[in-house]
Amino acid sequence: MPVVALTVNERAVRVDVAGHWTLIQLLRDGLGLLGTKEGCGEGSCGACTVLVDGRLTRACLALAVRADGARVTTIEGVGTDAELHPIQDAFVRHGAIQCGFCTPGLIITTKALLDENPRPTDHEIREFLSGNFCRCAGYNMILNAVRDAAGLLTERR
Amino acid sequence: MILRPFEYVESKTVDDAVAALQGGGEDARVIAGGTALVPLMKHSVLRPSLLVSIARVPGLAEIAPGVSGGLRIGTVTTHWAVSHAPLVQERSPLLAYACSRVASPTVRSMGTLGGNLCYGESASDPSPALLALRASVRLHGPGGARIVPITEFFTGFYETALGDAEVLTGIDVPAMPAGARWRYLKWTPRAQEDKALVGLAAMLVLDGRRCRVARLAVGGVGASPIVLTRAEQALEGQELDEATIARAADAAAGEVEPMADLQGSAEYRRDMLRVWVRRVVGDLAEGRTS
Repeated sequence: MPVVALTVNERAVRVDVAGHWTLIQLLRDGLGLLGTKEGCGEGSCGACTVLVDGRLTRACLALAVRADGARVTTIEGVGTDAELHPIQDAFVRHGAIQCGFCTPGLIITTKALLDENPRPTDHEIREFLSGNFCRCAGYNMILNAVRDAAGLLTERR
Repeated sequence: MILRPFEYVESKTVDDAVAALQGGGEDARVIAGGTALVPLMKHSVLRPSLLVSIARVPGLAEIAPGVSGGLRIGTVTTHWAVSHAPLVQERSPLLAYACSRVASPTVRSMGTLGGNLCYGESASDPSPALLALRASVRLHGPGGARIVPITEFFTGFYETALGDAEVLTGIDVPAMPAGARWRYLKWTPRAQEDKALVGLAAMLVLDGRRCRVARLAVGGVGASPIVLTRAEQALEGQELDEATIARAADAAAGEVEPMADLQGSAEYRRDMLRVWVRRVVGDLAEGRTS
């Protein structure tokens, strides 16, 4: 069994993986980090989105062995139980969460958007989140939450 | 959804990859970003026993100046990297923009330009741009290296000119002519992240109203991305009035063999191609470039 050494949410870990595992299996089955969800499993829905070396990544498409040496950020690495990240806080306040299955991927994608572009236009928000599906279809609340989070994050700088 | 077991090799050089492919038999596959290959494996469309990764071969993710103001782009450069690179934005804004329209941000930051071409999909966004720009691809195989014009690379429905155990290592993109006007039009009738039903790349060089150079290529319509040769011929050397542009649009509609699928019928594709050639060329002729 290959051993993959990587950093997950600022913590160095070594994980036994099967050679044909994808990154989501490493995270969920190998490390027990159940925040990252598998939706479609084929790279379309965005539920499994994580950051690998700061880049948006579909954990259902990335091979686990490729993560050797990488720095991975999952939803567990965003905010804490005591203090939500401003993006999470905005999602809660705007009711941008219904069943919650798409939420981890949306929060990670929003974080990537606001890291790159702190003041996105509505068009830019819609375009950036276009690969994250919400099947409860609360898209307007999500848009409101991202707008609000953008304001919050900028004020804190 | 899980994958069937396979062997995995992380190549250190292109020669390593070629040797591994030669030893791996017919169902060995090259993997880079995996955004095309992994879904096909999950659906058991492909069942490779060996994956040969070229993702970590030094130098294959580089973007460098090419000859005469062009570009040399390494095969595992991601769409995100191509679209964000100042050198590409400056020298080949058409390619930078086309890469910025691939799927979604996450797929763009995983998927690679070379992988996109080797997949051979008609509705690829970079392919029509590279056809319009008359780019070339560098292939490296057991017999050595060769350069193939991209106009000869796409040979049929998900088929390319890649030979056995051959690896695409880079893309050479000629400079865009000074004063060139360009557009990549991605027509997706349903949603932003859909594949192009018509992906039209256009580049024109004009003297006043007279068209000196016309480069038009389209993906998503036929079995593979193609140059719209007759439409180009209908424009070059002509004054770009309404009648000429309409003739070029008709020529484009007449030279494609459209597919039908859930996104649209063959006739819808043909009609939309006619509409978008007319509008895009019309806009460029009027100086409306975005």
